[in-house]
Amino acid sequence: MSEWIAIGALGLVAVGIPLGMMAVSAILRPAVPEQGKGATYESGEIPTGTARVQFNIQYYMVALLFVVFDVETVLIFPWTVIYRSALSQGVALSTVLWPMLAFVGILVVGLVWAWRNGAVEWVKSPLANRQKTERNA
Amino acid sequence: MGPLQSQVLLPERIAGLLGLSGTAGQIVGGLLGAFIIANLLLVQTAVAGPWAKRKITAAFTDRIAVNRVGPFGLFVIVADAVRLLSKELVIPDGVDRPAYDLGPLLVPFSALLGFAVIPMGNGIHLADPETGLVFAFAASSIASLGLVMMGYASNNKYSLLGGLRAIASNIAYEIPLIITAASVIIFTGSLQMSEIVAQQAEPLLTLGGVAIPQWFAFVNPFAFALFVVANLAEVGRNPFDVPEAPTEIVAGYQTEYSSVYFVLIYLGEFIHIFLGGALAATLFLGGPAGPVLPGFIWFTIKIWAFYLFTQWARSAVPRIRVDQFLDVGWKGMLVLSFANLVLTAVIVGVIA
Repeated sequence: MSEWIAIGALGLVAVGIPLGMMAVSAILRPAVPEQGKGATYESGEIPTGTARVQFNIQYYMVALLFVVFDVETVLIFPWTVIYRSALSQGVALSTVLWPMLAFVGILVVGLVWAWRNGAVEWVKSPLANRQKTERNA
Repeated sequence: MGPLQSQVLLPERIAGLLGLSGTAGQIVGGLLGAFIIANLLLVQTAVAGPWAKRKITAAFTDRIAVNRVGPFGLFVIVADAVRLLSKELVIPDGVDRPAYDLGPLLVPFSALLGFAVIPMGNGIHLADPETGLVFAFAASSIASLGLVMMGYASNNKYSLLGGLRAIASNIAYEIPLIITAASVIIFTGSLQMSEIVAQQAEPLLTLGGVAIPQWFAFVNPFAFALFVVANLAEVGRNPFDVPEAPTEIVAGYQTEYSSVYFVLIYLGEFIHIFLGGALAATLFLGGPAGPVLPGFIWFTIKIWAFYLFTQWARSAVPRIRVDQFLDVGWKGMLVLSFANLVLTAVIVGVIA
Protein backbone atom coordinates (compact mmCIF):
# COMPACT_ATOMS: atom_id res chain seq x y z
CA MET A 1 0.00 0.00 0.00
CA SER A 2 2.72 2.46 0.99
CA GLU A 3 4.28 2.32 -2.47
CA TRP A 4 1.06 3.61 -4.03
CA ILE A 5 1.04 6.48 -1.51
CA ALA A 6 4.57 7.35 -2.71
CA ILE A 7 3.52 7.09 -6.37
CA GLY A 8 0.55 9.33 -5.65
CA ALA A 9 2.92 11.79 -3.98
CA LEU A 10 5.08 11.84 -7.11
CA GLY A 11 1.91 12.41 -9.13
CA LEU A 12 1.14 15.46 -6.96
CA VAL A 13 4.69 16.78 -7.30
CA ALA A 14 4.61 16.14 -11.07
CA VAL A 15 1.54 18.36 -11.34
CA GLY A 16 2.85 20.88 -8.79
CA ILE A 17 6.15 21.58 -10.55
CA PRO A 18 4.57 22.56 -13.92
CA LEU A 19 1.93 24.62 -12.08
CA GLY A 20 4.69 26.35 -10.09
CA MET A 21 6.58 27.14 -13.28
CA MET A 22 3.39 28.53 -14.81
CA ALA A 23 2.88 30.73 -11.72
CA VAL A 24 6.46 32.07 -11.88
CA SER A 25 6.08 32.76 -15.57
CA ALA A 26 2.75 34.52 -15.00
CA ILE A 27 4.53 36.93 -12.62
CA LEU A 28 7.55 37.52 -14.88
CA ARG A 29 6.10 37.75 -18.36
CA PRO A 30 4.69 40.83 -20.09
CA ALA A 31 1.36 40.92 -21.87
CA VAL A 32 1.34 43.07 -25.01
CA PRO A 33 -1.85 42.25 -26.87
CA GLU A 34 -1.65 43.42 -30.46
CA GLN A 35 -3.86 42.86 -33.42
CA GLY A 36 -2.69 39.94 -35.54
CA LYS A 37 -0.58 38.37 -32.82
CA GLY A 38 -3.25 35.78 -32.20
CA ALA A 39 -3.25 34.51 -35.78
CA THR A 40 -2.14 30.88 -36.04
CA TYR A 41 1.07 30.23 -37.94
CA GLU A 42 0.71 29.36 -41.58
CA SER A 43 4.07 30.37 -43.00
CA GLY A 44 3.32 34.05 -42.43
CA GLU A 45 0.18 34.03 -44.56
CA ILE A 46 -3.30 34.83 -43.25
CA PRO A 47 -4.64 31.45 -42.08
CA THR A 48 -7.25 29.86 -44.31
CA GLY A 49 -10.08 28.83 -42.02
CA THR A 50 -9.68 26.78 -38.87
CA ALA A 51 -7.85 23.51 -38.36
CA ARG A 52 -11.10 21.72 -37.46
CA VAL A 53 -11.33 20.15 -40.88
CA GLN A 54 -12.27 16.73 -42.20
CA PHE A 55 -8.97 15.01 -42.54
CA ASN A 56 -8.00 11.67 -44.04
CA ILE A 57 -6.30 9.77 -41.24
CA GLN A 58 -4.17 7.53 -43.41
CA TYR A 59 -3.48 4.94 -40.75
CA TYR A 60 -7.07 4.33 -39.65
CA MET A 61 -6.89 0.58 -40.33
CA VAL A 62 -3.55 0.41 -38.54
CA ALA A 63 -5.13 2.06 -35.51
CA LEU A 64 -7.76 -0.68 -35.44
CA LEU A 65 -5.01 -3.31 -35.59
CA PHE A 66 -3.25 -1.50 -32.76
CA VAL A 67 -6.20 -2.00 -30.43
CA VAL A 68 -6.08 -5.77 -31.02
CA PHE A 69 -2.34 -6.02 -30.47
CA ASP A 70 -2.37 -3.72 -27.45
CA VAL A 71 -4.93 -5.89 -25.70
CA GLU A 72 -2.77 -8.83 -26.63
CA THR A 73 0.31 -7.36 -24.89
CA VAL A 74 -1.76 -7.09 -21.72
CA LEU A 75 -2.68 -10.78 -22.01
CA ILE A 76 0.91 -11.84 -22.73
CA PHE A 77 2.40 -10.28 -19.57
CA PRO A 78 0.89 -12.77 -17.06
CA TRP A 79 2.16 -15.64 -19.21
CA THR A 80 5.72 -14.24 -19.29
CA VAL A 81 5.65 -13.86 -15.50
CA ILE A 82 4.72 -17.48 -14.74
CA TYR A 83 6.53 -19.12 -17.68
CA ARG A 84 9.90 -19.87 -16.10
CA SER A 85 8.66 -20.75 -12.62
CA ALA A 86 6.07 -23.11 -14.13
CA LEU A 87 8.85 -24.85 -16.06
CA SER A 88 11.08 -25.14 -12.99
CA GLN A 89 8.18 -26.63 -11.03
CA GLY A 90 8.03 -29.46 -13.53
CA VAL A 91 5.18 -28.49 -15.84
CA ALA A 92 5.81 -29.89 -19.32
CA LEU A 93 7.16 -27.44 -21.88
CA SER A 94 4.34 -28.13 -24.33
CA THR A 95 1.70 -27.34 -21.67
CA VAL A 96 3.18 -23.89 -21.04
CA LEU A 97 4.36 -23.00 -24.52
CA TRP A 98 1.72 -24.24 -26.98
CA PRO A 99 -1.30 -22.19 -25.79
CA MET A 100 0.70 -18.97 -26.08
CA LEU A 101 2.18 -19.98 -29.43
CA ALA A 102 -1.34 -20.63 -30.70
CA PHE A 103 -2.49 -17.26 -29.33
CA VAL A 104 0.39 -15.36 -30.93
CA GLY A 105 -0.01 -17.46 -34.08
CA ILE A 106 -3.65 -16.47 -34.53
CA LEU A 107 -2.70 -12.80 -34.21
CA VAL A 108 0.20 -13.16 -36.62
CA VAL A 109 -2.09 -14.82 -39.16
CA GLY A 110 -4.41 -11.84 -38.70
CA LEU A 111 -1.50 -9.46 -39.25
CA VAL A 112 -0.43 -11.32 -42.41
CA TRP A 113 -4.00 -11.17 -43.70
CA ALA A 114 -4.20 -7.42 -43.02
CA TRP A 115 -0.79 -6.95 -44.59
CA ARG A 116 -1.74 -8.81 -47.77
CA ASN A 117 -4.98 -6.84 -48.00
CA GLY A 118 -3.02 -3.63 -47.87
CA ALA A 119 -4.40 -2.48 -44.51
CA VAL A 120 -0.90 -1.67 -43.28
CA GLU A 121 -0.14 0.33 -46.43
CA TRP A 122 -0.20 4.10 -46.41
CA VAL A 123 -3.46 4.97 -48.18
CA LYS A 124 -2.77 7.11 -51.23
CA SER A 125 -5.47 9.48 -52.39
CA PRO A 126 -6.60 9.13 -56.04
CA LEU A 127 -5.26 12.64 -56.67
CA ALA A 128 -1.82 11.71 -55.37
CA ASN A 129 -1.81 8.60 -57.55
CA ARG A 130 -2.71 10.59 -60.66
CA GLN A 131 -0.03 13.18 -59.98
CA LYS A 132 2.63 10.62 -59.20
CA THR A 133 5.75 11.01 -61.30
CA GLU A 134 7.21 7.78 -62.56
CA ARG A 135 10.79 7.23 -61.61
CA ASN A 136 13.16 5.78 -64.18
CA ALA A 137 14.94 3.08 -62.28
CA MET B 1 19.86 -10.02 -3.10
CA GLY B 2 23.26 -8.48 -3.74
CA PRO B 3 24.90 -5.95 -1.49
CA LEU B 4 24.33 -3.20 -4.09
CA GLN B 5 20.61 -3.53 -3.63
CA SER B 6 19.36 -1.46 -0.75
CA GLN B 7 16.03 -2.83 0.38
CA VAL B 8 14.85 0.31 2.16
CA LEU B 9 12.90 2.56 -0.20
CA LEU B 10 13.34 6.31 -0.18
CA PRO B 11 10.06 7.26 1.59
CA GLU B 12 10.73 4.82 4.45
CA ARG B 13 14.25 6.12 4.89
CA ILE B 14 13.10 9.74 5.00
CA ALA B 15 10.32 8.86 7.44
CA GLY B 16 12.92 7.05 9.57
CA LEU B 17 15.25 10.06 9.55
CA LEU B 18 12.40 12.35 10.58
CA GLY B 19 11.30 9.92 13.27
CA LEU B 20 7.82 9.57 11.81
CA SER B 21 5.90 6.32 11.54
CA GLY B 22 2.55 5.03 10.29
CA THR B 23 0.50 6.77 7.64
CA ALA B 24 1.87 10.24 8.46
CA GLY B 25 5.40 8.94 7.89
CA GLN B 26 4.39 7.35 4.60
CA ILE B 27 2.76 10.53 3.31
CA VAL B 28 5.53 12.91 4.42
CA GLY B 29 8.25 10.49 3.32
CA GLY B 30 6.50 9.94 0.00
CA LEU B 31 6.11 13.65 -0.67
CA LEU B 32 9.70 14.50 0.25
CA GLY B 33 11.04 11.53 -1.69
CA ALA B 34 8.97 12.49 -4.72
CA PHE B 35 10.26 16.05 -4.42
CA ILE B 36 13.88 14.84 -4.34
CA ILE B 37 13.41 12.58 -7.38
CA ALA B 38 11.58 15.25 -9.38
CA ASN B 39 14.35 17.75 -8.62
CA LEU B 40 17.10 15.31 -9.57
CA LEU B 41 15.40 15.00 -12.94
CA LEU B 42 14.84 18.75 -13.26
CA VAL B 43 18.55 19.37 -12.68
CA GLN B 44 19.54 16.76 -15.26
CA THR B 45 17.05 18.19 -17.74
CA ALA B 46 18.36 21.69 -17.11
CA VAL B 47 21.87 20.52 -17.99
CA ALA B 48 20.68 18.39 -20.91
CA GLY B 49 18.29 20.90 -22.50
CA PRO B 50 19.81 24.36 -22.77
CA TRP B 51 23.47 23.30 -22.52
CA ALA B 52 24.37 19.71 -23.39
CA LYS B 53 22.09 19.57 -26.43
CA ARG B 54 23.72 22.67 -27.91
CA LYS B 55 27.23 21.51 -27.09
CA ILE B 56 26.68 18.02 -28.53
CA THR B 57 25.04 19.28 -31.71
CA ALA B 58 27.80 21.86 -32.09
CA ALA B 59 30.46 19.19 -31.70
CA PHE B 60 28.82 17.14 -34.44
CA THR B 61 28.59 20.11 -36.81
CA ASP B 62 32.04 21.51 -35.97
CA ARG B 63 30.91 24.62 -34.12
CA ILE B 64 31.62 25.98 -30.63
CA ALA B 65 28.13 26.78 -29.23
CA VAL B 66 27.48 28.49 -25.89
CA ASN B 67 30.75 29.57 -24.20
CA ARG B 68 30.21 33.13 -22.98
CA VAL B 69 28.46 32.89 -19.62
CA GLY B 70 30.33 31.01 -16.91
CA PRO B 71 32.71 28.04 -17.28
CA PHE B 72 32.03 26.19 -20.58
CA GLY B 73 29.00 28.45 -20.93
CA LEU B 74 27.25 26.51 -18.16
CA PHE B 75 25.51 29.55 -16.65
CA VAL B 76 23.55 29.87 -19.87
CA ILE B 77 21.19 27.41 -18.15
CA VAL B 78 20.17 30.09 -15.64
CA ALA B 79 20.00 32.78 -18.31
CA ASP B 80 17.86 30.56 -20.52
CA ALA B 81 15.52 29.61 -17.70
CA VAL B 82 14.83 33.27 -16.94
CA ARG B 83 14.59 34.17 -20.62
CA LEU B 84 12.11 31.41 -21.47
CA LEU B 85 9.89 31.93 -18.42
CA SER B 86 9.69 35.69 -18.99
CA LYS B 87 8.55 35.42 -22.61
CA GLU B 88 5.10 36.66 -23.49
CA LEU B 89 2.49 33.93 -23.70
CA VAL B 90 0.66 34.33 -27.00
CA ILE B 91 -2.59 32.39 -27.07
CA PRO B 92 -3.76 32.08 -30.70
CA ASP B 93 -7.32 32.77 -31.80
CA GLY B 94 -9.82 29.95 -31.60
CA VAL B 95 -7.85 27.50 -29.47
CA ASP B 96 -9.74 24.86 -27.53
CA ARG B 97 -9.01 26.33 -24.13
CA PRO B 98 -8.91 23.70 -21.40
CA ALA B 99 -7.25 21.18 -23.70
CA TYR B 100 -4.73 23.76 -24.96
CA ASP B 101 -3.56 24.37 -21.38
CA LEU B 102 -3.76 20.77 -20.17
CA GLY B 103 -1.61 19.29 -22.94
CA PRO B 104 1.69 20.88 -21.83
CA LEU B 105 0.90 19.84 -18.23
CA LEU B 106 0.37 16.20 -19.14
CA VAL B 107 3.67 15.67 -20.96
CA PRO B 108 6.06 16.33 -18.03
CA PHE B 109 3.54 14.76 -15.65
CA SER B 110 3.59 11.41 -17.43
CA ALA B 111 7.37 11.35 -17.76
CA LEU B 112 7.93 12.20 -14.09
CA LEU B 113 5.34 9.66 -12.95
CA GLY B 114 7.19 6.89 -14.78
CA PHE B 115 10.27 7.52 -12.62
CA ALA B 116 8.35 6.52 -9.47
CA VAL B 117 9.26 2.86 -9.96
CA ILE B 118 12.80 3.23 -11.36
CA PRO B 119 15.59 2.12 -9.00
CA MET B 120 18.32 4.78 -9.28
CA GLY B 121 20.84 3.21 -6.95
CA ASN B 122 21.96 4.10 -3.42
CA GLY B 123 18.41 3.61 -2.20
CA ILE B 124 16.98 6.35 -4.42
CA HIS B 125 13.91 4.36 -5.35
CA LEU B 126 10.51 5.83 -4.60
CA ALA B 127 8.21 2.83 -4.89
CA ASP B 128 8.58 -0.82 -5.76
CA PRO B 129 5.15 -2.28 -6.56
CA GLU B 130 4.89 -5.79 -7.99
CA THR B 131 3.61 -4.37 -11.28
CA GLY B 132 6.48 -1.85 -11.54
CA LEU B 133 7.41 -2.37 -15.17
CA VAL B 134 3.84 -2.22 -16.45
CA PHE B 135 3.28 0.93 -14.38
CA ALA B 136 6.31 2.61 -15.97
CA PHE B 137 5.00 1.87 -19.48
CA ALA B 138 1.48 2.95 -18.54
CA ALA B 139 2.70 6.24 -17.07
CA SER B 140 4.96 7.06 -20.00
CA SER B 141 2.21 6.49 -22.57
CA ILE B 142 -0.07 9.09 -20.96
CA ALA B 143 2.13 11.60 -22.80
CA SER B 144 0.65 10.79 -26.20
CA LEU B 145 -2.73 11.92 -24.85
CA GLY B 146 -1.13 15.28 -24.07
CA LEU B 147 0.40 15.45 -27.55
CA VAL B 148 -2.96 14.78 -29.20
CA MET B 149 -4.62 17.40 -27.03
CA MET B 150 -1.99 19.95 -28.03
CA GLY B 151 -2.26 19.02 -31.69
CA TYR B 152 -6.00 19.27 -31.85
CA ALA B 153 -6.55 22.23 -29.52
CA SER B 154 -4.03 24.54 -31.20
CA ASN B 155 -6.30 25.32 -34.17
CA ASN B 156 -3.29 25.07 -36.47
CA LYS B 157 -2.98 22.70 -39.40
CA TYR B 158 0.66 21.91 -38.67
CA SER B 159 -0.27 21.10 -35.08
CA LEU B 160 -3.06 18.81 -36.26
CA LEU B 161 -0.64 16.94 -38.52
CA GLY B 162 1.90 16.72 -35.71
CA GLY B 163 -0.69 15.39 -33.27
CA LEU B 164 -1.83 12.74 -35.75
CA ARG B 165 1.76 11.73 -36.41
CA ALA B 166 2.36 11.46 -32.67
CA ILE B 167 -0.47 8.90 -32.50
CA ALA B 168 1.00 7.10 -35.50
CA SER B 169 4.37 6.80 -33.76
CA ASN B 170 2.69 5.61 -30.59
CA ILE B 171 0.60 2.91 -32.25
CA ALA B 172 3.48 1.69 -34.39
CA TYR B 173 6.23 1.46 -31.80
CA GLU B 174 4.58 0.87 -28.44
CA ILE B 175 3.80 -2.78 -29.15
CA PRO B 176 7.37 -3.67 -30.23
CA LEU B 177 8.65 -1.86 -27.14
CA ILE B 178 6.39 -3.72 -24.72
CA ILE B 179 6.72 -7.12 -26.42
CA THR B 180 10.51 -6.78 -26.27
CA ALA B 181 10.26 -5.92 -22.58
CA ALA B 182 8.07 -9.02 -22.16
CA SER B 183 10.90 -11.15 -23.53
CA VAL B 184 13.02 -9.94 -20.60
CA ILE B 185 10.21 -10.82 -18.18
CA ILE B 186 10.47 -14.42 -19.39
CA PHE B 187 13.94 -14.47 -17.80
CA THR B 188 13.06 -12.63 -14.61
CA GLY B 189 9.59 -14.03 -13.93
CA SER B 190 8.70 -10.81 -12.13
CA LEU B 191 7.53 -7.33 -13.07
CA GLN B 192 9.01 -5.85 -9.88
CA MET B 193 11.87 -3.48 -10.71
CA SER B 194 14.05 -4.43 -7.73
CA GLU B 195 13.70 -8.10 -8.69
CA ILE B 196 14.58 -7.41 -12.35
CA VAL B 197 17.72 -5.57 -11.22
CA ALA B 198 18.64 -8.21 -8.63
CA GLN B 199 18.43 -11.01 -11.21
CA GLN B 200 20.93 -9.21 -13.38
CA ALA B 201 23.51 -9.14 -10.58
CA GLU B 202 24.01 -12.90 -10.95
CA PRO B 203 27.23 -13.78 -12.79
CA LEU B 204 26.80 -14.88 -16.40
CA LEU B 205 30.33 -16.20 -16.91
CA THR B 206 33.81 -15.51 -15.57
CA LEU B 207 36.44 -14.13 -17.92
CA GLY B 208 39.98 -14.15 -16.50
CA GLY B 209 38.79 -13.94 -12.93
CA VAL B 210 36.34 -11.10 -13.65
CA ALA B 211 32.70 -12.09 -13.26
CA ILE B 212 30.55 -10.70 -16.07
CA PRO B 213 27.09 -9.96 -14.64
CA GLN B 214 24.00 -11.41 -16.27
CA TRP B 215 22.82 -8.15 -17.80
CA PHE B 216 20.10 -8.92 -20.29
CA ALA B 217 21.88 -6.82 -22.91
CA PHE B 218 24.58 -9.54 -22.80
CA VAL B 219 22.09 -12.41 -22.54
CA ASN B 220 19.91 -11.20 -25.41
CA PRO B 221 21.62 -8.40 -27.38
CA PHE B 222 19.02 -8.65 -30.15
CA ALA B 223 16.25 -7.69 -27.74
CA PHE B 224 18.39 -4.82 -26.47
CA ALA B 225 18.85 -3.47 -29.99
CA LEU B 226 15.12 -3.75 -30.69
CA PHE B 227 14.28 -2.04 -27.41
CA VAL B 228 16.64 0.86 -28.05
CA VAL B 229 15.27 1.42 -31.56
CA ALA B 230 11.64 1.27 -30.39
CA ASN B 231 12.57 3.60 -27.54
CA LEU B 232 14.07 6.08 -29.99
CA ALA B 233 10.75 6.12 -31.83
CA GLU B 234 8.78 6.48 -28.60
CA VAL B 235 10.74 9.57 -27.56
CA GLY B 236 10.49 10.93 -31.11
CA ARG B 237 14.13 11.40 -32.02
CA ASN B 238 15.79 10.90 -35.38
CA PRO B 239 15.42 8.85 -37.50
CA PHE B 240 11.89 8.71 -36.04
CA ASP B 241 11.57 12.47 -35.62
CA VAL B 242 8.33 12.36 -37.62
CA PRO B 243 5.87 13.98 -35.14
CA GLU B 244 7.92 17.19 -34.85
CA ALA B 245 9.70 17.17 -38.20
CA PRO B 246 10.89 20.81 -38.17
CA THR B 247 11.54 20.87 -41.92
CA GLU B 248 8.12 19.46 -42.86
CA ILE B 249 5.47 20.64 -40.41
CA VAL B 250 7.20 23.55 -38.59
CA ALA B 251 7.23 22.04 -35.09
CA GLY B 252 4.24 19.69 -35.16
CA TYR B 253 2.02 19.82 -32.11
CA GLN B 254 4.09 22.51 -30.40
CA THR B 255 3.90 25.10 -33.19
CA GLU B 256 1.50 27.40 -31.32
CA TYR B 257 3.09 27.17 -27.89
CA SER B 258 5.23 29.93 -26.44
CA SER B 259 6.66 30.98 -23.08
CA VAL B 260 6.19 28.57 -20.17
CA TYR B 261 4.17 26.09 -22.24
CA PHE B 262 7.12 25.71 -24.59
CA VAL B 263 9.36 25.09 -21.57
CA LEU B 264 6.97 22.47 -20.20
CA ILE B 265 6.78 20.59 -23.50
CA TYR B 266 10.57 20.53 -23.79
CA LEU B 267 10.92 19.55 -20.14
CA GLY B 268 8.55 16.66 -20.74
CA GLU B 269 10.43 15.55 -23.84
CA PHE B 270 13.80 15.51 -22.13
CA ILE B 271 12.48 13.69 -19.06
CA HIS B 272 10.95 11.21 -21.52
CA ILE B 273 14.35 10.60 -23.08
CA PHE B 274 15.76 10.01 -19.60
CA LEU B 275 12.84 7.70 -18.78
CA GLY B 276 13.55 5.75 -21.96
CA GLY B 277 17.20 5.51 -20.93
CA ALA B 278 16.20 4.50 -17.40
CA LEU B 279 13.95 1.72 -18.69
CA ALA B 280 16.67 0.45 -21.02
CA ALA B 281 19.17 0.58 -18.14
CA THR B 282 16.84 -1.21 -15.71
CA LEU B 283 15.77 -3.92 -18.13
CA PHE B 284 19.01 -4.55 -20.00
CA LEU B 285 21.98 -2.90 -18.29
CA GLY B 286 21.65 -4.05 -14.70
CA GLY B 287 19.93 -0.89 -13.44
CA PRO B 288 22.26 1.06 -11.17
CA ALA B 289 24.83 -1.77 -10.94
CA GLY B 290 28.42 -1.29 -12.01
CA PRO B 291 31.99 -1.67 -10.77
CA VAL B 292 33.83 0.72 -8.38
CA LEU B 293 31.55 3.78 -8.61
CA PRO B 294 28.39 4.06 -6.48
CA GLY B 295 25.08 2.97 -7.99
CA PHE B 296 23.57 6.40 -8.52
CA ILE B 297 26.61 7.53 -10.55
CA TRP B 298 26.32 4.43 -12.75
CA PHE B 299 22.61 5.02 -13.23
CA THR B 300 23.31 8.62 -14.26
CA ILE B 301 26.04 7.46 -16.66
CA LYS B 302 23.65 4.97 -18.26
CA ILE B 303 20.76 7.38 -18.79
CA TRP B 304 23.16 10.03 -20.09
CA ALA B 305 24.64 7.46 -22.46
CA PHE B 306 21.15 6.94 -23.88
CA TYR B 307 20.68 10.71 -24.07
CA LEU B 308 23.98 11.04 -25.92
CA PHE B 309 22.84 8.28 -28.27
CA THR B 310 19.60 10.13 -29.07
CA GLN B 311 21.54 13.32 -29.76
CA TRP B 312 24.01 11.41 -31.90
CA ALA B 313 21.16 9.92 -33.91
CA ARG B 314 19.65 13.40 -34.18
CA SER B 315 22.82 14.77 -35.74
CA ALA B 316 23.86 11.77 -37.81
CA VAL B 317 20.73 10.05 -39.17
CA PRO B 318 18.22 11.55 -41.61
CA ARG B 319 14.51 11.45 -40.81
CA ILE B 320 12.41 8.78 -42.50
CA ARG B 321 9.18 9.65 -44.30
CA VAL B 322 5.89 9.23 -42.43
CA ASP B 323 4.64 6.29 -44.50
CA GLN B 324 8.02 4.57 -44.16
CA PHE B 325 7.75 5.28 -40.45
CA LEU B 326 4.59 3.17 -40.19
CA ASP B 327 6.08 0.51 -42.45
CA VAL B 328 9.20 0.15 -40.31
CA GLY B 329 7.02 -0.15 -37.23
CA TRP B 330 4.40 -2.60 -38.47
CA LYS B 331 6.30 -4.63 -41.03
CA GLY B 332 9.70 -4.61 -39.36
CA MET B 333 9.76 -3.97 -35.64
CA LEU B 334 6.49 -5.75 -34.80
CA VAL B 335 7.44 -8.93 -36.63
CA LEU B 336 10.97 -8.91 -35.21
CA SER B 337 9.73 -8.32 -31.67
CA PHE B 338 7.31 -11.26 -31.89
CA ALA B 339 10.06 -13.44 -33.34
CA ASN B 340 12.26 -12.38 -30.44
CA LEU B 341 9.56 -13.21 -27.88
CA VAL B 342 8.81 -16.65 -29.32
CA LEU B 343 12.48 -17.53 -29.77
CA THR B 344 13.30 -16.41 -26.23
CA ALA B 345 10.44 -18.49 -24.87
CA VAL B 346 11.54 -21.57 -26.85
CA ILE B 347 15.21 -21.23 -25.90
CA VAL B 348 14.43 -20.66 -22.22
CA GLY B 349 12.03 -23.61 -22.34
CA VAL B 350 14.57 -25.94 -23.94
CA ILE B 351 17.43 -24.95 -21.61
CA ALA B 352 15.36 -24.97 -18.41
